[in-house]
Amino acid sequence: MNKRLVLRLLGAILLIEALAMSPSLLIALVCGDGDAMAFALTIGTLCIMGLPLWFLVKPIKPNLRAREGFVVVALSWLVLSGFGAMPFVLSGVIPNYVDAFFEAVSGFTTTGATIMTSFDEPMRGIMFWRSFTHWIGGMGVLVLTLALLPQMTGRTSHLVRAESPGPSLSKIVPKMGDSAKILYMMYGALTAIQFAILVIAGLSPYDAAIHTMGTAGTGGFSNYGLSVGAFQSPVVDVIITVFMVLFGINFALFYRVLTGAWRDMLKSEELHWYLGLFGAATVAICILLMPTYGNVFQSLRYSSFQVASVMSTTGYATADFNLWPQAAKMILILLMFVGSCAGSTAGGLKVVRLALLCKISGREVRHTFQPRKVQVVRFEGKGVEESLLTQVAVFFFVYILMILMGALLVSFEGRFDFETNFTAALTCASNVGPGFSMVGPMENFAGYGPMAKIVLSILMLAGRLEIFPILVIFHPSVWKK
Amino acid sequence: MRILVVGDGKVGHTIAEHLAREEHDVVIVDTSEEALQRSEETLDVMCVRGNGANATTLLEAGADKADILIAATASDETNMLCCLISKKLGAKYAIARVRDPEFNESLSMLKKELDIDMAINPERATAIEISRLLRFPFASNIESFAKGRVEMVEFRAHENDVIIGKPLKDLGHKLHGIPQVLYVAVERDGDVVIPNGDFVIEDGDRVHVAADVVTITSYFRYLGKHSLRVKNVLILGGGRISYYLAKMIVPTGTHVSIIEINERKAASLSEQLPDVNVIYGDGTDQELLEQEGLSGMDAFVALCDRDEENLMTGLFAASEGVPKVIVKNNRVAYAQLISSMGLESIVSPKAITCANILRYVRAHVNGVGTKVEKIYRLMDGKAEALEFIARAQDPYIGIALKDLTMRKNTLVAVIVRAGKVIIPFGNDHIEGGDSVVIMARESGIGDLNEVIRK
Repeated sequence: MNKRLVLRLLGAILLIEALAMSPSLLIALVCGDGDAMAFALTIGTLCIMGLPLWFLVKPIKPNLRAREGFVVVALSWLVLSGFGAMPFVLSGVIPNYVDAFFEAVSGFTTTGATIMTSFDEPMRGIMFWRSFTHWIGGMGVLVLTLALLPQMTGRTSHLVRAESPGPSLSKIVPKMGDSAKILYMMYGALTAIQFAILVIAGLSPYDAAIHTMGTAGTGGFSNYGLSVGAFQSPVVDVIITVFMVLFGINFALFYRVLTGAWRDMLKSEELHWYLGLFGAATVAICILLMPTYGNVFQSLRYSSFQVASVMSTTGYATADFNLWPQAAKMILILLMFVGSCAGSTAGGLKVVRLALLCKISGREVRHTFQPRKVQVVRFEGKGVEESLLTQVAVFFFVYILMILMGALLVSFEGRFDFETNFTAALTCASNVGPGFSMVGPMENFAGYGPMAKIVLSILMLAGRLEIFPILVIFHPSVWKK
Repeated sequence: MRILVVGDGKVGHTIAEHLAREEHDVVIVDTSEEALQRSEETLDVMCVRGNGANATTLLEAGADKADILIAATASDETNMLCCLISKKLGAKYAIARVRDPEFNESLSMLKKELDIDMAINPERATAIEISRLLRFPFASNIESFAKGRVEMVEFRAHENDVIIGKPLKDLGHKLHGIPQVLYVAVERDGDVVIPNGDFVIEDGDRVHVAADVVTITSYFRYLGKHSLRVKNVLILGGGRISYYLAKMIVPTGTHVSIIEINERKAASLSEQLPDVNVIYGDGTDQELLEQEGLSGMDAFVALCDRDEENLMTGLFAASEGVPKVIVKNNRVAYAQLISSMGLESIVSPKAITCANILRYVRAHVNGVGTKVEKIYRLMDGKAEALEFIARAQDPYIGIALKDLTMRKNTLVAVIVRAGKVIIPFGNDHIEGGDSVVIMARESGIGDLNEVIRK
C-alpha cells in the first residue's frame, strides 16, 4: 500500500471540493440568507487539511497500482461526503450530522433521496450546494481531478476505472487527462444548453440552475417538495424528459457525434437497448395510465417523464406514481434495477450489463439442447471476452445481494412495511432517489433512524462506485504492506 | 503527436511506453485482449482490439489522423499490409518491422511500392550493432553523433589503467600526452553518475567517453586498449543474425566460423556463405568449441535462440581467454545481472529495434518546442545522450558555460561547430547553429532551454 500517494491524492480531492464549494459561497453571499459563514468555515477547513497533504506529502514511488486506485476512489468519496455535509450542519438546515451525511452522500452519488421535510424557508446557498454535488458527482470527482491536474500522469486508468460506470473502460482519446477534459467540456456544454432552454421556457435562473444540475448529474434534488411537478408546465416536463434521456447516454457517443462520426451513434447496440426499453416502458405505462388521466397526451406526458426519470436514475417526479396501478409501479421497480448506459452519469445495473446477461442466458438455454455449438457472445459488433461475461454475471449477483442485505438491515428498525424497506434499498443502490410507499415521490427518508440512514448511505456509495471499490477497502489484505 | 502502434508484443509495448511518457497520443492495436489489458493498465494509452491489417480496425484506432504508424506484429506480411492501408487512409509516416531475409532482398522496391518510410529488420540491425562492436573490440558500446564526427565509447576501467584513482580534472595536465576526452557518464554498481572534475574513476566502473574519432582512437591507444583488429571470429548459432553478420564482416577480411546444430540449416548456410567455415555440431559442447580453436579466437559471438545457452557458452569463452565476447540476450531485465558476471557486450534484437524506431520517431517530432535531433539511450535507459541544434535567438548563446546554470544531472558533452568538434570546458560557449550533445540522467528533455539557463 502506497500510503503517501493515497494521502497526496486525498489532499487533491479536498482542494477540489473547496473549489467546488466556492460558487455556493458566492450565491450565499449574494442572497444573504445567513449561510455564507457555513461555507466559509468548510472551505477554510478543507484548505487547511488539503494544502499540506498535496504539497508536503511526497510519494516515494509515483506508480498507482490497482489497489491504490480503488482505495483512493473509495476514500475520496467518503471524505467528500463527510466534508460535503458540513455546510448543512453549520448552517443549521440539517442539525443532525448523520442526516447531513445522508443528504451529502445522496447528492454526490446523484441519488436524490432526501431527508429534508420542509422547503418553505430555504437558504439558497445551501440548496445550490445540495444540487451542485449532483453535478460534480455525476461525471465523477476523480475525473475532474484528472482534468484539472495535468501532472497526475502515469497509471491513472485505475482511478477512472473505479469511478466510471460500466463493465469496461473505454477512453475517448489516448491520454487520460485529455479524456477527462473532453468529458467535462461536453458535460458542461450540455448543462449550459439545458439551463438556457429552461430559462427560455420561463423558469427563474435559480430554479433552472437547480433543476439543470439535478438532471445533468441524473440526481434528482429539487427545491420544491412537489419536485418538477411544482412547475405545472408540460413544456418544462418535456425539456427535462429529453435531457434526462440524453444524460443517460454514454458520453463517448456524444464525442463520436462531435468528431463527425454520428453514424456510430445510430449503430450503438447499447443505445438501441436503452431507447428500446425506454420506448416499451413508456408505451406500456401510458396505456396503463389511460383510465387515470383520460387522454393519451396527458398519459404520455406523465409516463414518459417518469420512465425517463427512473431509467436515468434521476428521480424527479411530476406525479405521485405511488398512486398508479400496480403494473405501472412494477415496471418502474424493474427499471430501477436497470438504470442507463455505461459511461453516462446515471446509476443502476447499466443497460450493457442487462444486454449481456440476456445474451448469456440465451446461450445457456441453447447450450442445453445443442451442447457442441460454439457460441461467442457478441456486443457492439465484437466478440465479448469470457472473463468480462463472468465479471458481469458476478456483478449482477453481488448487486442483488447488496440490495437484499440492505433491505434486511433496514428492516431491523421495524418502522416501515416491506415495500418501503425494499424499494428504499433498491432506490439507494441504483441511485434513483424516490421509492414507493413511505419513501414514495411525495414522501422522504426522514422517517428512518440513524442506523438505516448509514446503511442506505453505504448502499448509495456502493451503487455509484459499482460495489467493488467499496468492498476493497474492507478487505484486510489491501491495507497490509 | 498521434502515434499508432500495431502489435502489442515486447517491442510494441516498449515503444508505446516511451512515446506515451514523452507526451504523445498513443493508440495500440492488437488482437490479444490479454496483451492490451496489460498495456491499458500500465500505460496512458488507448487500446483497440482487432487485426492490424483490417481497415475498419485501423480507422477505429484513428489511422487516418495518425502522424506515425509503427507496425510491429509478429508477421511481416501484416506489418507491410498495415503500413500500406494506413498510408492510403491518411497516416503521414509508416514504419514496419520486416525480418524475413527473403523480403530483405527486395526491400527497397517493397518500401517504395508499399509506401513504407522505414523498414526495420531486427536481425540485420543487430548484426550491424555486432559488427560495430567487433570493429572496436575494446568498447562494450559505441554511439556516434553529429553525423559520425563524434563518438561516444563505453568501456570498463581496469585496475592498471592510468585513469584510475585520480580526480578527472587532474587527468588532463598531470599526465602529459593523454588525449583530451570528455568523461560523460560513469556507471558504478548499477548507478549512473554524470561526473564532475572531482570524480575519481575506480576499478570496474563502466566509463563513457566522448571525443572526435581521431582523438578517441589515440586515447585508447594510450590506454593500451586498442588491440589489433579482430581477425578470427567464432559464431555460435546459424540464425538470421549470424547470416547477416557474416555477410557484413567477411568482405573486410575477417575469418568467420559458424557452429550450427541443425544439419540442413548448416548445409544451406554453407551454400549461401561460401567463404565461411560452417561447422555442424552442438555449440554448447565444450570439447567441440576447444576443437574449433576457441582459445585462439579474437572474438566469440553467441547467437543461439536460447538466452541461457548464449550466456553459459559466453562465460566459458571468457574463461578460455577470448578477448571479446558478445552474447545475445532478449531479456533486457537481466542485462544488469549479466554484466556483473563479466560479460559486457550484450545485444538484444528487441532493444535494438525499439531504439531504432524511437530514434526515427523522435527525429520526426516537429511539435512545438521539441527540437531534439537525436536521442541515444545508454546503460539500459538509465541515461540519455541528446543532440540539439542551438538557435541563434536562445538566451544562452555566446555566454561561457561556467556562467550558465545547468539543470541537475546534465552535462554539455560535445559542441560541433562548422564540422569542428569541441570538447567543451568552462570557458567555451555555444553559438547559433551549433550541434550540442547533452548527457542527462533523466529522460523527457525536449528543449535545450530546459537544460541550460542564463
